[in-house]
Amino acid sequence: MMDVDERPLRLDVDDDGAEEDEAMADRGAFERHYADERSWEELQEDESGMLRPLDVAQQQRQHRKRMAAMAGPHIQRGIIRYVYVLLDFSRAAAEMDLRPSRMGIVADCVEAFVREFFDQNPLSHLGIILLRNGIAHRLTDLSGSPETHIKALRSNMECAGDASIQNALDLARGYLTQIPSYGHREIMLVFSALSTIDPGDILEAVQKCKEANIRCSVVGLSAEIYICKLLCDQTGGIYSVATNEAHLKELIMEHAPPPPVQAEISVASLVRMGFPQRGAEDAVALCACHREVKIGGGYTCPRCKARVCELPTQCHICGLTLVSSPHLARSYHHLFPVPPFEEVANMAVANGRQSISKNCYGCLQELPTPGGKVKGVRLACPRCRQHFCFDCDNYIHESLHNCPGCESTSISSSQPSQ
Amino acid sequence: MKFKIDGLTVYFPYEYIYPEQYDYMMDLKRTLDARGHCLLEMPTGTGKTITLLSLITSYMLANPSVGKLIYCTRTVHEMEKVLEELRKLQAYQEKCLGKVAKMLALGLSSRKNLCVLPEVSGEGSRESVDAGCRKLTASWVRALALDNPNIELCSFYEGYEKSGADALLPTGVYTLHDLRAFGRERGWCPYFLARHMIQFANVVVYNYQYLLDPKVAGIISKEMEKECVVVFDEAHNIDNVCIEALSVNIRQQTLDGATRNLSQVTQLIEKSKATDANRLRQEYNRLVEGLAQRGNLPGSDTWLANPALPQDILQEAVPGNIRRAEHFVAFLKRLVQYIKARMNTEQVESESPVSFVTSLQNQAGIDQKSLKFCYDRLHSLLLTLEVTNTDEFMHIQTICDFATLVGTYTRGFTIIIEPYDERMPNIPDPVLQLSCLDSSLAIKPVFEKFQSVVITSGTLSPIDLYPRLLNFHPVISNSYKMTLTRDCLCPMVLTRGSDQLPVSTKFDMRSDPGVVRNYGRLLLEMVTAVPDGIVCFFVSYSYMDGIVNSWNEMGILQDVMQHKLVFIETQDVVETTLALDNYRRACDCGRGAVFFSVARGKVAEGIDFDRHYGRLVIMYGVPFQYTLSRILRARLEYLRETFQIKENDFLTFDAVRQAAQCVGRVIRSKADYGMMIFADKRYNRHDKRSKLPGWILSHLRDAHLNLSTDMSVHIAREFLRRMAQPYDKAGQGTNATLLSQADLERMEKK
Ligand code: SF4
Ligand SMILES: [Zn+2]
Ligand SMILES: [Zn+2]
Ligand SMILES: [Zn+2]
Repeated sequence: MMDVDERPLRLDVDDDGAEEDEAMADRGAFERHYADERSWEELQEDESGMLRPLDVAQQQRQHRKRMAAMAGPHIQRGIIRYVYVLLDFSRAAAEMDLRPSRMGIVADCVEAFVREFFDQNPLSHLGIILLRNGIAHRLTDLSGSPETHIKALRSNMECAGDASIQNALDLARGYLTQIPSYGHREIMLVFSALSTIDPGDILEAVQKCKEANIRCSVVGLSAEIYICKLLCDQTGGIYSVATNEAHLKELIMEHAPPPPVQAEISVASLVRMGFPQRGAEDAVALCACHREVKIGGGYTCPRCKARVCELPTQCHICGLTLVSSPHLARSYHHLFPVPPFEEVANMAVANGRQSISKNCYGCLQELPTPGGKVKGVRLACPRCRQHFCFDCDNYIHESLHNCPGCESTSISSSQPSQ
Repeated sequence: MKFKIDGLTVYFPYEYIYPEQYDYMMDLKRTLDARGHCLLEMPTGTGKTITLLSLITSYMLANPSVGKLIYCTRTVHEMEKVLEELRKLQAYQEKCLGKVAKMLALGLSSRKNLCVLPEVSGEGSRESVDAGCRKLTASWVRALALDNPNIELCSFYEGYEKSGADALLPTGVYTLHDLRAFGRERGWCPYFLARHMIQFANVVVYNYQYLLDPKVAGIISKEMEKECVVVFDEAHNIDNVCIEALSVNIRQQTLDGATRNLSQVTQLIEKSKATDANRLRQEYNRLVEGLAQRGNLPGSDTWLANPALPQDILQEAVPGNIRRAEHFVAFLKRLVQYIKARMNTEQVESESPVSFVTSLQNQAGIDQKSLKFCYDRLHSLLLTLEVTNTDEFMHIQTICDFATLVGTYTRGFTIIIEPYDERMPNIPDPVLQLSCLDSSLAIKPVFEKFQSVVITSGTLSPIDLYPRLLNFHPVISNSYKMTLTRDCLCPMVLTRGSDQLPVSTKFDMRSDPGVVRNYGRLLLEMVTAVPDGIVCFFVSYSYMDGIVNSWNEMGILQDVMQHKLVFIETQDVVETTLALDNYRRACDCGRGAVFFSVARGKVAEGIDFDRHYGRLVIMYGVPFQYTLSRILRARLEYLRETFQIKENDFLTFDAVRQAAQCVGRVIRSKADYGMMIFADKRYNRHDKRSKLPGWILSHLRDAHLNLSTDMSVHIAREFLRRMAQPYDKAGQGTNATLLSQADLERMEKK
């Protein structure tokens, strides 16, 4: 039973790992060998052209820095987002520097992104636009159903012609300017090509996006392009360029958590929402989304009593935003984030205790010590002063949104920690 | 920030300093202490200008005995940049020191850039603006205007004259624009004001010519005191500037013009005889007394000075046979006749000045001494005749330039007469060239006169060759590396195409269709891998035309244009400017573009392709000079005999410095990044490669040598991905690339 209530428990990090493991088991030996070959990504070239293993601690630090840059200290976040994902399926997407092709990898990443997006932003909407043959083509409307997007994308896998960023921006802007004022407008462009071939003035299109308060971010696949950088700088988005497949996924996933809101456009506003009831297991009803008769499951709109298959969504009949309370609860943590952990630089005299903890407070795995065999960084929660490992840090900030250390102290001393 | 170098307090207007800037300052200070000259190579983008300015002005504050800082640049644009930096520095010094740090700094340029009278400044060329000004300001014109109010004068000049000694610039930093604004506001002519203020200034910024070309230096820089510090910035071509300053070309239209001028002069003499015979007689008397010039001329009457170097000018009476105006005109007519006859030849002739003068003596009865005085004699005559439209007399001036130089110098020059251009033998285009072969001649007075001369540029390699070319002994010559937080420079040497066949622009290979195709495929591969702007440099215009045509026929150009627009430099300045403009626009809007340009062209020397305007530069071939040129051959021979510089060494040095200059266009600051492809198998040879500047060589890894097209594309992709990642600008720990005041204090203590 694919139930909404189960989703908050889904642990991304572990889940992904499990999925991969399963996949590995299915593969033949030859393929597995190939996958192992990918270990070249664990190597890097130094100045003299020699290969050497990655410096783990350094890598982890870079990752944390990137995360910190995105989080910022105390920022307001828009939890009702309207995002158009623009995918460049021009001729450049057929290039094979990523296997099997850029297009395939991008589609995989976007699929994962769409799921993750609705997971983290249950109140938000997303649509897809394809850039192909010099024009922009709207693949899906802004809507709250991940499956629709993924299905549409999977059935549209071909690439040809040039890419025009201007066309795509204009099209997306046309839709985004119609959304209610409390929503946060965003564009995420995944760009394979190195040039944009536009019928008009792209600089004007950038300017208009800026005026319409649309935050535009770009994930590039090959190199830094000036116009993309300009677009992101002007509209407050993030520009990043992927170095390999894993990096590409990471960069696209970075857009899943809600972005900070620009102060001047954030006005508090009230949004009308409906909390539908789950239908009885054997009830027969006409489904509003599939336009066919379905038995059991589904939800009933509290206003017009229409049946919808999944949440969150907008009622197909009366247009009410339909959510369940866990959705709201999950969006809530973005407003009260766990404080970023600090790296324990001097491992000898940390946090004033006699001896420092050997093991991670979260997972009880061994923590790195000077001269020890575990490599990496050691992190401390600024509130409860407990030490954590790198993986737990990620897990706590990206999925759990509660610090185990703080939670247990607040229980034991029965003092609110916030 | 403020820090000490070797006991000297240096004021530096930024919070941080690069380590190489600090080293540069150390060397500069040692040079100044030793009162000697130096040769410093430091890549662009490392803040060379501010380093120079900040150290030298700080040195001047501590040692009032040092005179001025004379900063020479190649273009007006560079001059304005220097002055902008100086303004920042000055503001900082004043903040630290208060009123003591007052300084006067100004840029000086020709009337064309400084004139504020709309009727005159609107004239096109430099000569016509000069002449336009003279018409309004010559002393005799102004004298006439006293009685006749209908005669037009320049109100700014009159305003400037009326204020007399009070016409002064307050302390501060003045760009050309500021000078014009100030002049307009006060009603003073900015050109004459600036020339006057030079003697009071602490820093003067002007063009190379103001020191190197004796014609200009003689009037502008004569008064500079010995204790000055002279800086030649971007000086990698200084030897050519020196040579040009002492070379004269005479073409058919020069001769025609000169003949016209002479008949004009004859008419003027007749008229003057009829109206005011006294004037000519007075002139004659003056000449007898040995004064070629009329003592102290008012500023507005000064002419270009003698083309010969000051120490070579005779302080004697003008020879009798050219004292009388008519005689002098007849003398010149004979000279022009003779040159005309010589140029009417079927084959190339080359001759030394000595033999030229001898045959002149034998065939036209013109003696060397009179030749020598030609320029001053003409000058005196035109003044006496009260000629103001000097631009129309340019041709006869050229002839007299030539006469004076040929009469003065017996060594280091050559005369070459070519009936047509080698490359276009069917079109008769006779030219007589008096070419200086020795670049040390023009710069010698500068080295001798001034206490410290700094020669600096981003490309001075191999650094030991310049002292030999310019014949001086630097106290310090040094080449600095660029400290970088990331490898933002990616030079590559490409020797073969994807089919493994070698590529080169060597004469016997350049028209091989395989090479042409491989070069084309290289571009084609690169346009699919590199975003925004790509610049290609070719060895010459004719080569570029040829290869672009072939690419067009092969269909390569069309494929390139699917990815990027293509723009081409032409010999027409306006067209090229337009092409550049559109190129930049195409880079800005994400369309992407390729610019085809020529080594040694205007674009290669003066236009930056930084940031997205140039992510990659491809140098197609080794830009050797046209080795069949007679002048080059004469120069090579001279260099070999006089300075023991081998022909090949010089040619390679010259070609590689041009190549370095071309590829250096893409990186203008440390935050920037760019790739350079040297596409010719000859670059793989140690003798070529080793002549590249150190800051390029240090990034040229062994793995990036001897590449084929597919390998270089792979490297390019990787590089571009790496550069697109966010990075830490300051660097950390041992590879710190920025030093703060605290860091420097720590270093000083050690
Ligand atoms: S005096 Fe000055 S302002 Fe007047 S015409 Fe000459 S240059 Fe121009
Ligand atoms: Zn409803
Ligand atoms: Zn842990
Ligand atoms: Zn905690």
